[in-house]
Amino acid sequence: MKKKRVFISIIFVAIVGGAWFGYSEYKRKVKDLANVTAHFTMQANELITIFENNETAANAEYLDKIIAVKGNVKAVERDDRGYFTIVLGETGSLSSVRCSMDSLHVKDVAGVKEGLHITVKGACTGFTTDELLGSDVILNRCVIQTEK
Amino acid sequence: MKSLFVVIATSLISTSSLIAQDKYFTKSGRINFVSKAALENIDGNNKAVTCVLDTKTGNVQFAVLMKGFEFEKALMQEHFNENYVESHKYPKAEFKGQVVNNPEINYAKDGTYIVKVKGMLTMHGETKEVETVGNVVVKSGKLQAGAEFNILLSDFKIEIPKLVKDNVSNTVKIIVDCSLEPLKS
Repeated sequence: MKKKRVFISIIFVAIVGGAWFGYSEYKRKVKDLANVTAHFTMQANELITIFENNETAANAEYLDKIIAVKGNVKAVERDDRGYFTIVLGETGSLSSVRCSMDSLHVKDVAGVKEGLHITVKGACTGFTTDELLGSDVILNRCVIQTEK
Repeated sequence: MKSLFVVIATSLISTSSLIAQDKYFTKSGRINFVSKAALENIDGNNKAVTCVLDTKTGNVQFAVLMKGFEFEKALMQEHFNENYVESHKYPKAEFKGQVVNNPEINYAKDGTYIVKVKGMLTMHGETKEVETVGNVVVKSGKLQAGAEFNILLSDFKIEIPKLVKDNVSNTVKIIVDCSLEPLKS
């Protein structure tokens, strides 16, 4: 009798636990990168060169990885819906690291001005290149990393 | 003599600015990937789309990084990348096409114009012809381009896992919304 009760309890806990796990997985949001440690830290120029030299190899190594990129701010762009992009790289060069900022961290962009040297952390989504527009490494869900 | 010089200089400047404004571009265009189904609606949003439009020839090009689609839920984003579009294997989607009725559009005059676009869409390693009708709003030297069209996942050999086949639609609506600026050369 006691054995049966223990067995039923285990089954019950397993069902409730499974349902809870399933529900929390279903509702899980994409991680806020402010609380995530970067896989790589590097200069903007370094990252651009890696992609320009061999896009396929760079994709294999860096796609989806969290990268903290240090560089000079070339531009701060705001689109018509209020999304910000911080463009890092050398002024005058067509190549850049374009950082689409996480809308949850929009207020951090306020202090960012052209010419500042900053570190932006984001998820690497790839590389685009065009003879007219130049080459860009794209980071998404970006946050500004404050130096400790 | 001086006035002749001013006339020539002015016409040269205006000619060069006309040439410079043949091409329009954005690197922060938006594309939504919307799938409506019985179980759940899926809506992915990419806001780092590159687009170049040559108003002289009507040539238009889009480049989209598949990893750049953001979803409300993490699980949706993971499934989209891993099980559907396999973005690790096929990181980019591209569209190369033409504004078919380009001569009917006066890019120098503010207004809303209907555009017919036709071209080749490459996604998941497959290329398919796509044709749609959209609109371009010309306002103060900038263009706002928008279009909506449906694609079939099966056309791009994107397989829906058997387990969710009844709950995920094979038809996906693509919504394009790009604010294009003159490309200064």
